[in-house]
Amino acid sequence: MSTEQTVRESLNQALHEELDRDESVFLYGEDVGDYGGLYKISEGLKDKFGEQRVFDTPLAETSLGGTAVGAALAGARPVVEIMYADFLPIASDHLINYAAKMYFNYGDETSVPLVVRAMYGTGDGHGLHHGQSPEAWFMNIPGLKIVMPSTSRDYKGLLKSAIRDDDPVIFLENKMKYDSRGPVPDDEYTVPLCESDIKRTGSDATIVAIGGMVNTAIEAAENLSEKGLECEVVDPRTVSPLDMDPILESVKKTNVLVVAQEAPTFGGFGSEVASQVIDDAFFYLDAPVKRVGAPFTPIPFAENLEEMYVQTASDIEDAVLDAINT
Amino acid sequence: MWYVDMDLEAEDKRELLGNLFLVRQFEEHTIEVYQDRGIRELPHSSLGQEAVGVGACFPTQEDDILVPSLRTRAVMLLRAPLNQIVAGMYGTESGPSNGRTTEHHMGSSGNGILGTTGMVGSHLNPSAGAALGSKVLGDDRVTISFLGDGATQRGEFHTALNFATVKQLPVVYVIENNQRTEAKYIDDLVEVDDLAEFANHGLPTEIVDGQDVTKMVDAVGNAVERARSGDGPTVIEAKTYRYRPHAETMPETRDRDELEYWKDRDPVKLYKERLLDEDVIDEDWVEKTTEHLQTEIEDAFKFAENDSLPPEDALFHVYKDADIDHWTGVVR
Repeated sequence: MSTEQTVRESLNQALHEELDRDESVFLYGEDVGDYGGLYKISEGLKDKFGEQRVFDTPLAETSLGGTAVGAALAGARPVVEIMYADFLPIASDHLINYAAKMYFNYGDETSVPLVVRAMYGTGDGHGLHHGQSPEAWFMNIPGLKIVMPSTSRDYKGLLKSAIRDDDPVIFLENKMKYDSRGPVPDDEYTVPLCESDIKRTGSDATIVAIGGMVNTAIEAAENLSEKGLECEVVDPRTVSPLDMDPILESVKKTNVLVVAQEAPTFGGFGSEVASQVIDDAFFYLDAPVKRVGAPFTPIPFAENLEEMYVQTASDIEDAVLDAINT
Repeated sequence: MWYVDMDLEAEDKRELLGNLFLVRQFEEHTIEVYQDRGIRELPHSSLGQEAVGVGACFPTQEDDILVPSLRTRAVMLLRAPLNQIVAGMYGTESGPSNGRTTEHHMGSSGNGILGTTGMVGSHLNPSAGAALGSKVLGDDRVTISFLGDGATQRGEFHTALNFATVKQLPVVYVIENNQRTEAKYIDDLVEVDDLAEFANHGLPTEIVDGQDVTKMVDAVGNAVERARSGDGPTVIEAKTYRYRPHAETMPETRDRDELEYWKDRDPVKLYKERLLDEDVIDEDWVEKTTEHLQTEIEDAFKFAENDSLPPEDALFHVYKDADIDHWTGVVR
């Protein structure tokens, strides 16, 4: 049995269940407590679990990142909200140099079981600094896990797994999708980290899409289906460490690969997927790998420029057709 | 005051002096070996400021969390096994993390040492976080975090103090003001007379003579007691001095008078003379204790020099909860 839920509701439920399950889990950040989170993800949690476990903090992301590392090293399981992912660079000394490296650094099995929740996603006129897709900033850091869910079911199940995971997890939420709905199982469940998922099957082309682009890729696949092309949509869900096997299997079947992300194409997630496929499945490819992503510019403010920046289903359709017609 | 010099038993006093000897002799031997035949980890000596760490560690409980600066050698020496520490300096397999990391930044939950990084002051928010963790978990551990004067210039210091104060966390920050940030005088880098002024974030601060080990015991003992009782954080500024340059590769830039001025108030000599005056120790005790420590220290260096390099698979210790091929970065 399942119930239709928004991403917002599924995240709230995940936090609720994990706070309830494990007393070492706690949640904090700017306006996370009394206000319930800027986008109301943590609404009602402070009332339920009290000031000790759900609370507001000073405006200092360096404290949020740093204290989460310390609390995790001391044996707690902090879930910290950094609000906009654009603010992650302020906390990133703690994520890159501390959280990612302490399991390597410690002389015992101590690790850093923290979750940093941050939101990204553009198309809402928020401009340069409130919507960047930051996965590639952190992909080159061994020790971090980066999770970018796409459905209500995955958001809930992956957040629960992230909280239970012993490694530091950057959990990226697409703020444009908080209101999107989808079925969520009524019974308790988790979705494992580091497992790619096939969101749509097809034999003509493989589209690997992450985060907010997964739904866009599915939309593109439906449109192409009307033209007689069946695309397989693979959703890695965990961007790093990446589960490549389902992607390789899909490419070996379809012989065509398109990758789609919100971030600029250059130096991005899709480039890594393309490289991995070239390493391990080069002779299965019938066409050049096509990458769909933002231009190499900041996110612009003006409406028409923002429309240029944000890639849509038709951009993905063009990329698939380009590849197939090469 | 909760802890005063008068309360120290003769046995405590001998322990404190023994610990001062340990750090002093360890640091001197390290420089000797480094100059003679090299050590993989570049020494950043704590000579001259031994009393700060030794005194601060004394009133802590075994399960309290200590967060050393890269120069708080006392914390490592008083908390971790000697062989492991020296192997850590050599990057050999018996080091705290199979040679993956340096002795300077090693972490060990078993020994109550919070790991640190190569970024000066980056441990100050994690120190508040460790205290936050203790508060959430409901244990009564206190975190004692050491920092140099340089770290007070970073935003980390101010954000950490504000956070710790607002949340009333059980943490004590001990500033080891050794007068120099790397090679530069602290007076040229900040416009406050005392760094304690810099810590004016609504929490108690105290300035202590860092060359007097008993003053450190008193100040940190009181602060730890306050923290454990739920009364929040404290900042202690210990005025001290290092005898060596920032790192052993850097040339000496200080004049002899300045060094001599501080060596007059050498923390090891001061306390040794006091205990001799008080008849708590005699010259025979001093000789036996220093000889015994010297043997232990030299044995630890011999152990490390003969220790094997780590096995290659020691490198692949990056994720606790994921099985990956470390050469490609992808899940196996």
